[in-house]
Amino acid sequence: MAVVKVYSTSSCPWCARAKQYLRSKNIPFADINVATDRNAAMEMVRKSGQQGVPVIDIDGNIIVGFDQARIDSLLGIA
Amino acid sequence: MLQLKMKKQEEKISKIIYDLVIIGGGPAGLTAGIYAGRARLKTVIIEEIITGGQSATTELLENYPGFKDGVGGMDLAMIMTEQVKRFGTEIIYGKVISTKLTGEIKDIYFASSMIKAKAVIIASGAIPRKIKAEGADKFHGRGISYCATCDGALFRDKKIVIVGAGNSAIEEGIFLQRFTKDITFVQDLPYLTAEKILQERIKNYPDTKFYLGTIIKSINGEERVESVTARTVKENKEFEIPADGVFVYIGYIPKTDFLDKGLKLDGQGYIVTDENLKTNLDGVFAAGDVRVKDLRQVITAASDGAIAAHSVEKYLENK
Repeated sequence: MAVVKVYSTSSCPWCARAKQYLRSKNIPFADINVATDRNAAMEMVRKSGQQGVPVIDIDGNIIVGFDQARIDSLLGIA
Repeated sequence: MLQLKMKKQEEKISKIIYDLVIIGGGPAGLTAGIYAGRARLKTVIIEEIITGGQSATTELLENYPGFKDGVGGMDLAMIMTEQVKRFGTEIIYGKVISTKLTGEIKDIYFASSMIKAKAVIIASGAIPRKIKAEGADKFHGRGISYCATCDGALFRDKKIVIVGAGNSAIEEGIFLQRFTKDITFVQDLPYLTAEKILQERIKNYPDTKFYLGTIIKSINGEERVESVTARTVKENKEFEIPADGVFVYIGYIPKTDFLDKGLKLDGQGYIVTDENLKTNLDGVFAAGDVRVKDLRQVITAASDGAIAAHSVEKYLENK
């Protein structure tokens, strides 16, 4: 099973969409709120070079934004 | 297995002819969904991102009636979504890529499936206008953001430049004060364009700086944003403002690029409607920010949704 982390904030629509999508596919994920967890925020910026959410980490592969095609391909779902 | 299941679902969708398809699940689309559901029209709302649309990214709505202390944008979106579902209107998530709106039956196309309907309400809204300055593409997501409630927390104690000084800009500027006091507004017009109450409030933050009558020439840095170069409109004087983050609120552009070419738009791409929100195409209506109107607010979007759904009901009755 892939290890999936979603770096997000609570009021970001694309974050909500990404999490909703993963739930709809029954993919478990760690929901990391970078608004409340400063270390996680720094980790996200370091990993992705991004200062915007969502950032999705699938087994160490970084996806910026809600890129459904890349999520599907990394998780092997159609 | 999953593939087969999805394929079956797509096929199923394409065989149903809905009374009404609503494109967009913001306040306009959701309200239309409530009215259409209560009128017992077989209705589906198609939302690309998340219900509530742009309003869901607003921290607090203070001018929507019924909530004396204001209501969170995301909270209101969730309440409206639950309300829609109560009346049997479906909500599906997907991106509409094109439409065929002429003729009795309207076709709505996704990448790999389609939906048919007797009537359509276009409530696809508008998206933030992107900043056109040197470095804008390079730093998208690396210091430039269009959503303070989404990304604001990543700029704690950092220097922020806000481009624009209308309602959204000032509201989000007030929101960002919880993360940093180093906030500078840059607006091309020589005055603030936000409502008076917001102008009064931003004055409560004395560290906030304003450069009015000033445009952003470039956004500069190595890996991330380090500064912006601003230029005064009148004197043509250039100067640097140190910045870690640039939040942009310079208006919106309507999401109409996926629609039939025959649909009448104004010069800026907004849909032209009559007072019953009918477009130039039979059975096609528009509601909310996507149409030509003066005041784009959650309440006017909701109002549009009610009117458009009512017009659809009358249209279908007369068929």
